[in-house]
Amino acid sequence: MSDFDIPTLKENIDRETVESVLALDVDKYKYGFETIIESDKAPKGLSEDTIRFISAKKNEPEWMLEWRLEAFRRWQTMEEPTWARVSYPEIPYQDTYYYAAPKGATGPKSLDEVDPELLKTYEKLGIPLSEQKILAGVVEDGEGAEQLASPYSGNVAVDAVFDSVSVVTTFREELAKHGIIFCSISEAIREHPELIKKYLGSVVPVSDNFFATLNSAVFTDGSFVYIPKGVRCPMELSTYFRINEKNTGQFERTLIIAEEGSYVSYLEGCTAPMRDEHQLHAAVVELVALDEAEIKYSTVQNWYPGDKNGKGGVYNFVTKRGDCRGKNSKISWTQVETGSAITWKYPSCILKGDGSRGEFYSIAISNGHQQIDSGTKMLHLGKNTSSRIISKGIAAGFSDNTYRGRVFAHPKATNARNFTQCDSLLIGDTCGAHTVPYIESRNATAVFEHEATTSKISDDQMFYCLQRGLSEEEAVALIVNGFVRDVLQHLPMEFMVETQKLIGISLEGSVG
Amino acid sequence: MNVQTPIRLTAAEESLAAQLESVGAGDAAVRFREAGLPTRRVEAYHYTDLKVLLSEVPPLAEAVAGTGAPVFDIPGAYRIVVANGVMQNAGTAPAGVITGKVGGSTLTMRDDTVVRLNSALVKEAVNIELAGSVDPVIHIDRRTDGDAAHVATGSKITVAPGARATVIETVATSDAGHMGNLGTYVALGEGAEVTHIVVDLSATQATQFSTLEYRIDANAKLMSIVIQAGANLARAQIFANFVGEGAHGDFFGLNLIDTDQHRDITLDVTHGVPNTTSTELFKQIGRGHGKGVFQGKITVAKDAQKTDAKMMSQGLMLSEGAEILTKPELVIFADDVVCGHGATCGDLDETWMFYLMSRGIPKAEAETILIRAFLEEIVDAVEDEALGEALSGIVDGWLAQGA
Repeated sequence: MSDFDIPTLKENIDRETVESVLALDVDKYKYGFETIIESDKAPKGLSEDTIRFISAKKNEPEWMLEWRLEAFRRWQTMEEPTWARVSYPEIPYQDTYYYAAPKGATGPKSLDEVDPELLKTYEKLGIPLSEQKILAGVVEDGEGAEQLASPYSGNVAVDAVFDSVSVVTTFREELAKHGIIFCSISEAIREHPELIKKYLGSVVPVSDNFFATLNSAVFTDGSFVYIPKGVRCPMELSTYFRINEKNTGQFERTLIIAEEGSYVSYLEGCTAPMRDEHQLHAAVVELVALDEAEIKYSTVQNWYPGDKNGKGGVYNFVTKRGDCRGKNSKISWTQVETGSAITWKYPSCILKGDGSRGEFYSIAISNGHQQIDSGTKMLHLGKNTSSRIISKGIAAGFSDNTYRGRVFAHPKATNARNFTQCDSLLIGDTCGAHTVPYIESRNATAVFEHEATTSKISDDQMFYCLQRGLSEEEAVALIVNGFVRDVLQHLPMEFMVETQKLIGISLEGSVG
Repeated sequence: MNVQTPIRLTAAEESLAAQLESVGAGDAAVRFREAGLPTRRVEAYHYTDLKVLLSEVPPLAEAVAGTGAPVFDIPGAYRIVVANGVMQNAGTAPAGVITGKVGGSTLTMRDDTVVRLNSALVKEAVNIELAGSVDPVIHIDRRTDGDAAHVATGSKITVAPGARATVIETVATSDAGHMGNLGTYVALGEGAEVTHIVVDLSATQATQFSTLEYRIDANAKLMSIVIQAGANLARAQIFANFVGEGAHGDFFGLNLIDTDQHRDITLDVTHGVPNTTSTELFKQIGRGHGKGVFQGKITVAKDAQKTDAKMMSQGLMLSEGAEILTKPELVIFADDVVCGHGATCGDLDETWMFYLMSRGIPKAEAETILIRAFLEEIVDAVEDEALGEALSGIVDGWLAQGA
């Protein structure tokens, strides 16, 4: 750690904390390699022709093309949002490629068909695909499953998205036995049009916001998951996104549907090469949880953050929303945000079903010239709905780290409950940490609590822990991070090490 | 897509623009016609969309003689009456107090529509200079009489170093759709100690905007209290700036909301220098279909190390239709600070109710006890006994209305 300039610290900040954050320094971005692979690209720029090109490349039915064109027309009338605490030069939408696909990657069915260069890329990324032989064996004959027994949650099924195209999806047959559909969204559009028509755009409408509408027009791939009634998905589902091509945007679209009584845990990870120019990533993720269903969605976002002078880096403008449509359904978002030059992201829950529950756990670390404006929305519409928000922002370098969240109770949301806690830690005096919660209650029986200091965990919880012999600090760490840790332990091995570094960060010295 | 098209002005906006023109504020009128009243897209007005809420603007006020008994009586106070925006002759000022008039608005220009209107429309403001230890409470009694009128008024309160004083400003109107725009500037010299209270008691048809601006110098101590218990549409905005080390501010606010009222308190505190501290406590209580808004922003500048700021906002909803909207906000650029905020909203705690009722207290009374306890925390902060009692009277009045 000797090569870091450690700023002067106030007494009660743990030195290890500071070193952990500095270790994530932008210069040390280890995923910054580029893979030279031939690729098919759409003509630069955005027009109806580009969209027709994308749609044709994907062999999409006519209704899908119409859907995209309508989105594009809407997008042309919209203005880029400016309310977030981020600043960036104008994005040259007409100077970007909206479609780039590794050549010959129009839908390989097994790893053997995948370009070896690509597999090397994943190897470098250290994603489970590096266990490709075993994985491939399982896909082919189903025998290797036992060899995969790991101390974690068992097997991981992977959908890998390279630039704009899903290149490989593993474990499909195994999943199919349970009736689970896990494939790229392009495939789902062709093979499961009834599900796509019913659910696509039902959580994030086409005209939701500037970036979501852009995504609706030009999305090129992403993952599709369907868990049938009563099925508990036997393994983690996972997607790895990688932007490789120069001047491309990545616009993936993910749709997860959990039928009545089902359960799924889904993980996404993202990386990109180091480049001088900015790359745009505008994804849309839609989750639908029906009666008694549960979806856990975890993200480890590590897009290239730009160099130490703020040059380059990914603009991560993402719309993620889950719809707890059924009674007693549950959606839980966990995010570890360390990458991207700019993050603009608010994974949200619409708590429509009576008794439904939304959770948001976030660790956002910014360094260098990164800007993060992230948080969540918990919209309580049904009766007896509950939500919990735990957000930790850590700012270092010249970065700005903003938590922005909204908790809302509809007049009919009787007995809605929310607990929110957001903590920020600043390291050095050249960065900023900000908290902007919107707390809107339209129902007298709704009880909302919002805390933004580490010392203000509910007295009851503290009392409980303290009288059992824990120190105050241990108690705080236990209460605040307890559930986060629990969720993060479901992440695959590869991300555990990195994530644990973040989890190890001390709670001391926090500001609101 | 990016071409700016002229906005469509509402009837209220047309009236305001015409009023600006009628007082010779041409530039302000041009600017106003371009931007109009703030909508929810303007972050500071996110919950108070004036374009929608302000449907009518009464004509500019004409001077009338203000006489009669005060609407809000504080025994022993030195009273300055301002009738329809015009300061009346006050009695002999107590020791340490100099009163007079100052031309134009007293507010610092900032990018805010209400402030801009105040700046353009105020002809003269009350000027008060305070020195030494001022014994009686100073009461600026503002009244608007007669038919519905638009009154833009202001005060400038300058407190000499080391001085101590309590100043209360009340706004009351006759039963008509008046619109008030009050702008008060309070400067605290080094080591000064000031309690400054603003109470809105306008008629329920009225609209009241109040902008309070504080400049707090080294080692000065401010207590600011805002109580909104009058107008149908009310917004109090408080801008406080700590400019000297060792200064401290306590900010309190109370929104008493009923029927279809919309009451907004927006607080913006800037800790610009090191070693300053502040506490903020704002309470809102809603009945009927009332809507209460609290926005509280604490900004800590890069150099303002050792800032300690704690903000709490609490909302209590007593009816199904009530709404409480809260936005506490922290903007922090210094690393060695202790800043925090807490926010709660809900209805009366069932366990407390059970506790009281199990001891034989009837339900209605138990409710009143709990509500009073909730509200009085603000009023109890006032040291002056007579003033504290007068303020308690406002809370009692509000409770009695709902009984």
